[in-house]
Amino acid sequence: MTEVFGRRPFLVLALLAAALLVVPFLPLNDYVLHILTVFLIFSVFATGWNLTLGILGLKTLGHHAFFAIGAYLSAITAYYGGVSPWLTVWVGALSAAAAGVFIGFPILRIRSMPHVAIVTLAFAEIVRLVFSNLKDITRGELGFWGIPPFDPITVGDMTVRFGIGNAVGSFALAAVFFLAVHLALLLLLTSRTGLTFLAIRDSETAAESLGIRLSAWKLFAFGVSAAVVGLSGAVYAHYVMILTPTSTAGPEMLITLLAMIIVGGVGRFFGPIAGALLLTVLSEVLREFGDFRMLLYGLVIIVFVFVAPHGIAGLRLGRLRKAERAEPGTAGAT
Amino acid sequence: MSVAGFLELVINGLISGSIYALIGSGIALIYGTTRVLNFAHGELLMIAGYLVFFFAVTLGWNVFLASLLTLVLVGAIGALIQRVTIAPLLAREDWAFRVIAATIGLSIFLQSGAQLVFGERFQSVPYFFRGVLVLGDLRMPWQRIAIFLIALAIMAVCALILYRTQLGRIVRATAQDAEAALAVGIPSGLVHTSVFVISAVLAGAGAILLSPLISVNPWMGISYLLKGFAVVILGGLGSFGGAVAAGFLLGLIESFSVGFAPTEWRDVIAFTFLIAVIWVRPNGLFSGREA
Repeated sequence: MTEVFGRRPFLVLALLAAALLVVPFLPLNDYVLHILTVFLIFSVFATGWNLTLGILGLKTLGHHAFFAIGAYLSAITAYYGGVSPWLTVWVGALSAAAAGVFIGFPILRIRSMPHVAIVTLAFAEIVRLVFSNLKDITRGELGFWGIPPFDPITVGDMTVRFGIGNAVGSFALAAVFFLAVHLALLLLLTSRTGLTFLAIRDSETAAESLGIRLSAWKLFAFGVSAAVVGLSGAVYAHYVMILTPTSTAGPEMLITLLAMIIVGGVGRFFGPIAGALLLTVLSEVLREFGDFRMLLYGLVIIVFVFVAPHGIAGLRLGRLRKAERAEPGTAGAT
Repeated sequence: MSVAGFLELVINGLISGSIYALIGSGIALIYGTTRVLNFAHGELLMIAGYLVFFFAVTLGWNVFLASLLTLVLVGAIGALIQRVTIAPLLAREDWAFRVIAATIGLSIFLQSGAQLVFGERFQSVPYFFRGVLVLGDLRMPWQRIAIFLIALAIMAVCALILYRTQLGRIVRATAQDAEAALAVGIPSGLVHTSVFVISAVLAGAGAILLSPLISVNPWMGISYLLKGFAVVILGGLGSFGGAVAAGFLLGLIESFSVGFAPTEWRDVIAFTFLIAVIWVRPNGLFSGREA
């Protein structure tokens, strides 16, 4: 448990909350706030994916599909149905969860990592192509624009507005969303449910022999994970207010998120947050070298897999373990 | 539908199916022997595309000489990828996911590298074989027919090597139990590398055959990698024969899907078929011999 959450996970979350509370009072310009907002949304995405990838140990590669489903379904309901985004984001999250269960059901019965990886990847490709081909509804790769932002909230004489261009309001909303999701997940995962997930990750056979219903629990985790990712997609849609199939469900999204999780630490609760912060800031710094972003992400993934497989969250622990473990066999013997 | 139209769909299906079979059987061979999923397999296709373009168009060499040299180089690159990025990871804990992650990283690295070096130009190699076969109403360029025949010949040679030679027996023994193979004196590390070479050559052959029909570009490997993976799952993971059969089946399905749905839905139908099969038969359509 301490390996996943650290010693005092709730304290860490409280410190994060305090740090986020200070940000609006700092003399930051709108551009910095925008980057921080994007970071917050993407770290929820990364945390949601890490739930299956790291904490349950199911190597899914298609979570960008759930991001796109959450984003598009919420945007479509709000745009065509005239429903408030405050309600439609839940439509997005529920649709993503339903899709997660639908795709999870056939693959979770077989305990084969390649099946899980390939089928989820193929599913993401289906989702991208469907949103791209339904041009009458989504305008395909031209982009689905005109998505309404979250309705403004009025407290006393102060009105808080959201959506791109309203940096402070958007940041505050993303921060609340980030904290709420992480608090809920932390409560869920430090309970018996979380222990069950970790038991399944460590040994499916042992967990099953203790009476844990593997398929049901995996499906539940898959649904929760898809819902969280879908919700982050929906919040993203009403923040940036324009979507394209490739930018939400394309291979670049897969690489970006995978890099965030691997850099932060697969299976560490707070790892993906650190990875998301690092890579979001880094890619903004390198914006003028736009073409190098994917090259860098590819390189970062390879380097971390070889040098720091537990990510920055596991750097110290990883070094200790390396000292304990005698490297079994050399490359030539494999 | 006229007879000629029907035949054309069948032939087109077999042609694209033969490319899927070449790529899928390479992936299946690697998975069957080493339990590794190589996500950089599509980039071998891309590299081979650029190599054959360089030799045959830029340098203007004879296509057969260009193809031969391309295959040798792609085989060497396959060996290099296995030695440098995959073999060192196999000794570590949780290697299966690390190999997937590392090869995904390598794949995107090579794609963006190619984009930086060659730009976003889409280049094509001229047809190797001129002329069109005319059979009644049916018109088929020889180039496309050659793809099918050459791919079939290459896979037949591969199957012969796997099931009728000493090397094939060694590969299959390593696939069944790498440690036991080591115990009877088979250098399994070397076997793994040679399997990667064979698989890279299969992908390279696919790329050479495709290069006149599709343009050579940094992303040409992506869609073929996904199709290759689909073929491997459909054929029963790790089965060489199953992958070949599934490759042709997928090609035919795509070809006939164009008959009743717009072209842009072709891949949706192919991948939906994959998921439908997983619902009904989780272990694939064909239970062939392990590679």
